[in-house]
Amino acid sequence: MTGELKVSGLAKRFAVRQGWRRRIELTVFESLELTVHAGEFVSVIGPSGCGKSTLLAIAAGLEAPSAGTVAVDGKPVRGPGLDRGVVFQEFALFPWLTVRDNVAFGLKSMGMKRDERLRRAEKYVDLVGLSAFAQYYPNRLSGGMRQRVGLGRALAVEPAVLLMDEPFGALDALTRENMQNALGEIWQETHKTVLFITHDIEESVFLSDRVLVLNGRPSSIVLELTIALPRPRHRHTKEFQAHVERLDQAIRGELRINATQEEVIS
Amino acid sequence: MNAALRGAAAALAPFAVILVLWQLAAKFAGLPPSLFPPLESIFAALLKMFADGSLAADLAGTFRRLFESVLIGAFFGTVFGTMMGYFKWVERASVAPMNFLLSIPGTALFPLTLIWFGLSEMAIISILIYEVALTVTLMTWTGVKSIDLALIRAGRVFGARGAGMLWRVLIPAALPSIIGGYRLAFSRAWRILIIAEMLVSVTAGLGYRLYYAREYFHFELVYAGLLVVGVSGLLIERVLLRTLERATVNRWGTVRELT
Repeated sequence: MTGELKVSGLAKRFAVRQGWRRRIELTVFESLELTVHAGEFVSVIGPSGCGKSTLLAIAAGLEAPSAGTVAVDGKPVRGPGLDRGVVFQEFALFPWLTVRDNVAFGLKSMGMKRDERLRRAEKYVDLVGLSAFAQYYPNRLSGGMRQRVGLGRALAVEPAVLLMDEPFGALDALTRENMQNALGEIWQETHKTVLFITHDIEESVFLSDRVLVLNGRPSSIVLELTIALPRPRHRHTKEFQAHVERLDQAIRGELRINATQEEVIS
Repeated sequence: MNAALRGAAAALAPFAVILVLWQLAAKFAGLPPSLFPPLESIFAALLKMFADGSLAADLAGTFRRLFESVLIGAFFGTVFGTMMGYFKWVERASVAPMNFLLSIPGTALFPLTLIWFGLSEMAIISILIYEVALTVTLMTWTGVKSIDLALIRAGRVFGARGAGMLWRVLIPAALPSIIGGYRLAFSRAWRILIIAEMLVSVTAGLGYRLYYAREYFHFELVYAGLLVVGVSGLLIERVLLRTLERATVNRWGTVRELT
């Protein structure tokens, strides 16, 4: 199976205006290295501002890195492309298209013929469990259903890599758990290569083969944890909670270090 | 009485009140009937216009000018306004010229177009196109600039680029503002058109008819003409723009329907 995502020597710097005429350069991360192997589900987790969403935007080709590369199956990313399917935190569905046409959007870009496009869209609308709502406009759907459309739209282009940017961050707790279960099932069916961004520790343990903790300033990977628990996973087992605790420590520990550093600086 | 009938009644009631007041004033206020003709002579004039075919010819002339210029102007305005809202270099290059042009009313261009095209159709239509294109450009530009960035990113990620980005993402996303632009453009074009037909002696047109009626002291014809102008404007809004709105932004739920 192909679909390897390789991040090498990745750096991102922003020029930030601070006060009157003073510009400082903010380094989000410097020489980040990570590989998501084909068929692997990898989560990147960290506190807000650690640059995890920036990492995803670069992988999606929506932002340019300051240095380094992201490559999909050895091919460097130079902009957005249909070899990567993206699921957005804000859903970002096209409100003027029905569920089916939203899912078919990328297929139309590929120049796929109408019949084939509709057949393929139908398959993925089915997969995300929305066949009864194919003709609905997004404004009539609940948050969870909207993100199912977002997932269907990303899967329909049959990308080498699936990039998910805090996809369930805007959902309520109950719906979020529901969607995690659904994604877990869909992933077991498709075995896509997934780079998953989240700030929800349980979510990352529930879904991932491997979790990377991004932290510090500039941030780097402070912990890499392989989750070998059998699937489908259960959130309330001792092993599960042990993983959660380990990650929690890594994030909080780093936070404490950051706080003291900032105190010293100021 | 069902909801549709009740809605129609509510919309028509103010007109009925005005007509009744008018009739009372014309009959009992002692005003000269030539200046303030009663309803029956206005409707008689209307009927005569209808019977001798001049009403149809006037409406056809006016509407043809209106739609020709709105179609051309709205097309250019939509495409250009979208590009202004998406490409920084287009915006940079056009903001100052656009503000310059916005301060020149279309009607002020009459001396110029009369020199260029003479007393002809083109003298009118060129001004309407100018006015429509400018209005639609302005509204489309602001509409495209306020599109949620996430939608544009989704469009890019899923392969929309160039003209595809325009037709598949930017224009539908900005449609509420764009329709607002069309609405404004229609009403501006309509006003200018009626006046322009008075200035340029075209052979048929509502503005031309109004002016001509005054020249010959047919006051009831002036009122009848004004009535037609008002009703036509109302129908453009109700039939054309409202339908467009219902079929698009209301159906999608991208604008709020008042309840």
